[in-house]
Amino acid sequence: MGLLAPWFLAGFAALAIPFYVHLLRRHTTTPRPFSSLMFFERRTQSSIKHRRLRYLVLLSLRALLFLLLALAFANPFINRTAAKMNSEKLELLVIDNSFSMRAGNRLADAKREALSVLSSRRPTDKAQVMALGSQIQVLTQASLDPGALRAAVDNLQPGDSRASYGELARAVRSLAETVPTPIELHFFSDMQKSAMPGNFSELALPANVTLVLHPVVKDAVPNWTVESVNAPGQVWDPKKARVQAVIAGFGTPAATRTVSLVLNGKTAATKTVNVPANGRATAEFQSLDVPYGFTKCEVRIDSADTFPADDVSIFAVERTDPRHALFVSDAGDSRSPLYFRSALGSAVESAFVLDVVSAGDAANQQLSKYAFVVLSDLISVPSGLESALVRYVQGGGSVWIAEGTSASHSARVPVFGGNIQDSHDYSRTGDHYLNVADADPSHPSVEKADHWAGVKFYFAVKVDPGDARVIAHLTDGTPLLMEKKIGEGNVLLFASGLDNLTNDFPLHPVFVPFVEQTALYLSGTERRSGARVVDSFLELRSSKEQSVGVQVIDPQGQRPLSLKESTSAQTFRLASAGFYELQLANGRHNVIGVNPDRRESNLEVIPDDVQALWRGNPSAETAAQAAGGAAEEQKQPYRVWWYIMLLVFAAAIAESLLADRYLGSQQQEDL
Amino acid sequence: MLQRFLDPSVLAGISGLDLVAKTVVDGFVNGLHRSPDFGFSQEFAEYRAYSPGDDLRHVDWNVFARTERAYLKRYRGETNSILTVLLDASNSMKFSSHAVSKMDYARFTAASLFYLAIQNQRDAAGLIVFDDEVRTYIRPSTRQGQLPRLLSGLEHAEPHARTDFAKPLDHFQQFLRRRGIVVFISDFYDSPEHIVRTVEPLRFHGNEVVLFHILDPKEIRPEIKEPSTLIDLETQDRIEITPDYVRDEYRKKFDAHVEALRDKTRGAGMDYHLLVTDRPLDDALREYLTIRQGRD
Repeated sequence: MGLLAPWFLAGFAALAIPFYVHLLRRHTTTPRPFSSLMFFERRTQSSIKHRRLRYLVLLSLRALLFLLLALAFANPFINRTAAKMNSEKLELLVIDNSFSMRAGNRLADAKREALSVLSSRRPTDKAQVMALGSQIQVLTQASLDPGALRAAVDNLQPGDSRASYGELARAVRSLAETVPTPIELHFFSDMQKSAMPGNFSELALPANVTLVLHPVVKDAVPNWTVESVNAPGQVWDPKKARVQAVIAGFGTPAATRTVSLVLNGKTAATKTVNVPANGRATAEFQSLDVPYGFTKCEVRIDSADTFPADDVSIFAVERTDPRHALFVSDAGDSRSPLYFRSALGSAVESAFVLDVVSAGDAANQQLSKYAFVVLSDLISVPSGLESALVRYVQGGGSVWIAEGTSASHSARVPVFGGNIQDSHDYSRTGDHYLNVADADPSHPSVEKADHWAGVKFYFAVKVDPGDARVIAHLTDGTPLLMEKKIGEGNVLLFASGLDNLTNDFPLHPVFVPFVEQTALYLSGTERRSGARVVDSFLELRSSKEQSVGVQVIDPQGQRPLSLKESTSAQTFRLASAGFYELQLANGRHNVIGVNPDRRESNLEVIPDDVQALWRGNPSAETAAQAAGGAAEEQKQPYRVWWYIMLLVFAAAIAESLLADRYLGSQQQEDL
Repeated sequence: MLQRFLDPSVLAGISGLDLVAKTVVDGFVNGLHRSPDFGFSQEFAEYRAYSPGDDLRHVDWNVFARTERAYLKRYRGETNSILTVLLDASNSMKFSSHAVSKMDYARFTAASLFYLAIQNQRDAAGLIVFDDEVRTYIRPSTRQGQLPRLLSGLEHAEPHARTDFAKPLDHFQQFLRRRGIVVFISDFYDSPEHIVRTVEPLRFHGNEVVLFHILDPKEIRPEIKEPSTLIDLETQDRIEITPDYVRDEYRKKFDAHVEALRDKTRGAGMDYHLLVTDRPLDDALREYLTIRQGRD
């Protein structure tokens, strides 16, 4: 027995109120003159004593009322064992319908076993059916209706999500807080090891939950899969496009697999790879000859296991004409256009034509037709060009500014707006150069650049970043790469040059992915890559595209968004595998291939000892040892405030009746 | 409309007992739809030989001229009665729960009786005001100025001391010469046996004795909502009471007291009337006229 909110016991001070009322008010009676007291006999005194005694009953009732109220607010509880609390229990049936359950007859076996459990349950026990994917899906409420429960199990379809046992434990913990009866959790799953959370403690279940595991497989089965496909989302030169596929084997012997590239349902190329035992092999297709527009592509291996659903990986490719990018540099600067064009041309995924102009000519250009604009180490930017660039950025365009040695001629960075605080020529210092100290890998420009290891910077401009995001620093703390959002567009500032005079970055191979990814990012192409993973979220609209309708057609040809959602939803969850067709808010048509999470392809099973640990009885011996303390372990607080409030109610009624009888009788007589 | 003038709360707003009495009686008599000279007649009844002391104004001088003997003319209306009011002016009569105290109500009643008796019935009327002593005594008379004297006596009757029925009755019996109507106005806070035993001798002299028991409504049904201390207006004793007791025991005792007083007085050949101070005064007047008519 205990109190959950003992500080409410301070309410006992309210007991003083009835004592005050009863004891003090009695002494404040004003004597009243009366004609004669001949009818008030001495017996009256004894009557008053008797009445005082009865008033003491009233006082006691009132004191009890306050006492119980304070006690109820203190939220008392008693420790009761789950078994004693209620002989009934809730049988919670959770069936794993993640992607891996498509292998063999796993889902059918799980459903059959679930039906068996349902038929053997006691008629007085309620049952509830749920499905486990990346989230818990409630199929029925707690019910005694066997028909509804069996129908829910029968109608369960396999999903494409990745199972998360941690999510299961979290959902059951939440459920146990609201269900007063003990819960018997029956979990029907292939017990995939990859579904385990990183920390075993995330699987912890409340004391009133008993876990019964129903593994539908005992051992891992070999499985080959197309683990990943690296393909461009856009292609402008089919001969330069490459498709790389990684074929992985889990628990498999060494084997030769045939890999096919299928474009719009037709096999375009076939490769043979030797996959080592329990290893990976890469298949590369040298061209991606797709027609203009979107092409639904897939990489497929010949099926040789019980899990054919993961033998294919899909992606969508859009063939377009290359887009133009404007490179503005001074007339005397020939190195930076050279290196930049070379890097952009070497990139596989990018499709840009670089237009190199001087600052004077740039003012006459129509900026809106360019995917992005590069200002490379300009001595000065004409005011007309700068205002045009600002309008271009605010309207959604992107500008990439590189500040080289010419930056010393101005005090501020054009368009970006930051003040130039200093310029460092590190070649004159003892170290002669600086490296990159840190770079934010979450930014696309740095994502594939491997932290720019080994790149030497001889010259850098120190710019006050203000509210800009700093993506990379030099070792002396100078911000090297910054990004600022202006209006709907972005301005990226590289605090060094794009030639080999201020740094040796263009001479490093990492310069190519840096330029390529940055170009893709600034042009917005990056956001439309052609493959996603199930349960990822797709951004449907930007901030300026509110109230504009979008259309999503799922792999089954359905429109999952309602009319309201199509005008208001910001994101969309890709719930199933297949090709999604999108009509985005900017009017652009897009096709996305969605694949299940490949961790589902690893069919390795959780070891028995881990399963036993999860069930809560690691071994028979330890279970026996724990039996002695089981009652104590299963004890849990049972709140009794409800019963106390009933007593309060009863005391209030008794007090009202008694007070009415003692004090209100005169009024009734007068009526 | 006329009933309104018999309402004690209305009468309490009228200054002067004479006006009160006139208002009450006129209103009452008008309400009867009968002659205001009820019971009085100028019809000749008989001759009676003159005896010393008789009023010479009533001698029939025509008969004396013819017969040389003095005879008095008697009329029917001349069989007038004597009204004597014994008014209890003890402290308990001060009690009031509304605009009219018991003493006020007793004054109104007595004044109305006097007015009715003297002005309408040509009766002689007298007054004895007492508590534990006789405070005021006005002999019954029909002489002019009697009514103002009586009303003045009532005006000056203020509650004092305690009630003692024996002394005023002894005093009254000393002056009792003729039979008449004796009206006893009091709250009668004494045992019914003692009251009847004290008052009963009046009846033996051939008087019609009427007891007007004046009570406040809150004496009959006290409103006690919480335990209280009561002070006796006469003895200044204190006693602690509870609503429960008042509701049960007190009412039983009080009702028994009133019932016993009514039974015993009527058993002794006297009339008893309970007058509650929030009720009109006509009960008292009607009672008087009923008795007066019976005596004619």
